[in-house]
Amino acid sequence: MKRVLFWAAMPLVVFTFVSPLVWIYLTSLKTNADIYTQDLVRMFFFSPILDNYINLFTKTVFVREILNTLIISISSTILVMLVALPAAYSFARYETGHGHLLFVTISTRMFPAAVAAIPFFMAMKGLGLLDTRFCLVILYLYFNVSFAVFLLYGFFREIPVELEQAATIDGYGRIDIFRKIIFPMIMPGAAITAMFCFIFSWNEFLYAFLFTRNIARTVTIGLASFWASGQVDWGTMAACICVAILPTLAAAWFMQRYIIRGLSFGAVKG
Amino acid sequence: MANNVSEATRQAGPSIREMSGDYPKVRERTFWSVLSDDKYYKWLLLVPLLLVLIIFMLYPLLYCLWYSFHEFGMVKAATFIGFENYRDVLRDGEFWLALGRTGIVLVISIGAELSIGMAVAVLFNREFKGQNPIRGFILLPLLIAPLAVSMMWNFFLQYDFGIVNLVLGLVGIPKMSWFAPGVGLYTIAAISIWQWTPFSIFVLLAGLKSLPRDSFEAAKVDGAGPWYTFRRLTLPNLAPLIMIIVLLRTMWLVRLFDPLYGTTRGGADTELLDWQIYRNTFVYFDIGRGSTLAIISLFLTMIVCGVLFNQLMKALSATSE
Repeated sequence: MKRVLFWAAMPLVVFTFVSPLVWIYLTSLKTNADIYTQDLVRMFFFSPILDNYINLFTKTVFVREILNTLIISISSTILVMLVALPAAYSFARYETGHGHLLFVTISTRMFPAAVAAIPFFMAMKGLGLLDTRFCLVILYLYFNVSFAVFLLYGFFREIPVELEQAATIDGYGRIDIFRKIIFPMIMPGAAITAMFCFIFSWNEFLYAFLFTRNIARTVTIGLASFWASGQVDWGTMAACICVAILPTLAAAWFMQRYIIRGLSFGAVKG
Repeated sequence: MANNVSEATRQAGPSIREMSGDYPKVRERTFWSVLSDDKYYKWLLLVPLLLVLIIFMLYPLLYCLWYSFHEFGMVKAATFIGFENYRDVLRDGEFWLALGRTGIVLVISIGAELSIGMAVAVLFNREFKGQNPIRGFILLPLLIAPLAVSMMWNFFLQYDFGIVNLVLGLVGIPKMSWFAPGVGLYTIAAISIWQWTPFSIFVLLAGLKSLPRDSFEAAKVDGAGPWYTFRRLTLPNLAPLIMIIVLLRTMWLVRLFDPLYGTTRGGADTELLDWQIYRNTFVYFDIGRGSTLAIISLFLTMIVCGVLFNQLMKALSATSE
């Protein structure tokens, strides 16, 4: 009985979460006539075209948006890791601040996005940094750092203290311990954390929307611009969505084991 | 412990130590050796984070607090008006509407995600063929940009040619305008449910897999029915995980913005709290009022999350007993 229920429900669950994605990829290969059709047969059996992708890459600034997003996401991820790695290590090894400081760090994540957006908009305006990549890199540092500290904290806790104590007895200095003992052991955890920071920066919309106009605009801004003007070009928009979500889909597939752990700030091992 | 390692050995590295085999007895307290004492070292590591926290937490907070007591429209200098902004906001019907809508979205989304998530998790709590690829498929929506998700659904839910209306037409259900006033809010909640239900599913599934087996066997021996077992054994054991889901989802849902931009743009009676802050500050350039709203929103989030956090701690200590 439970078996039957399972094999009946499981395909339904998979269908619910996968079919919208399949449909948007199909749409990106359709002509406008095929998109606007009301004929269900024609919706499924159409002759695929690549015009939407060609439009996307030649008629919009999509290439620049992708490049911007890559540069911004990678540099902010590196910055985040430089700040978060030592901090998380300190929290995990020495209980610095007895957990209060860790709680303060995590509570930045509760801030409504606007609380930081207003002052920084004024500050960046004053400094003439609006619409620069630098400004987004800094904002994404803020956006991701508490998350990274929390996740890395969990990973550091899994490294046994005895290893370090043994190394100290063997005469290793602080730097040697970090380089030879901790770093190799934290590498996988750090890679996962960095991947998450990269994806969060890649997906971020509100700050990009407020702080950039033309020069530093990111992929999400390009995506939003399809929905800005009166006549929506659904085909090209679908193509844009398909390219924009490709890295995140790939990440979701390859990091399966760590997604739940990452999204729950390390609280659930998944 | 670390200050037992002398300065000389540190500089020379392990190679000389291996050759000579003896440690210098006299140590000078150099700057580095003081810093590498545990007491200071742990704070040294925190310096970058503390700087970031001061710049990105304290400064915006004080700034918003300061301007929430001012009338400031970016054009002329800010003038101090005391609690005027707060009074205006609290008397403004739109604020209460946005707050109410945020509450509705919170309750609907979290309720639906938890109940669907629980049902699917219970169903999936078994070994079956192809479980890894299937798990992968279900996880796909989680990392997609929320803006992309909402635009995708916006397209599917178009009145004239949207696939949802056409498929519903096959079953004889007339076309719906999904983003009309009164409906739009629930559509937006549904979009968010679609993206985030996998999170609930797999958090709860992780909980189900780690349940203590013997108490369940004991319950079976005692002749407890499946529903009774679920209510009395499974649910209490999963309480901390449920609290984690509620806490995290509350944190994210309070700042729901992208799905609004991708669909109704705050029109059609769907304006939520974060959108109202955005509109006041960046469309009307009323920094004073925007700051006030931001502070109120922050205050409410802190209260809700504080209560949830306490509940989580309680649930955690209840299960560890």
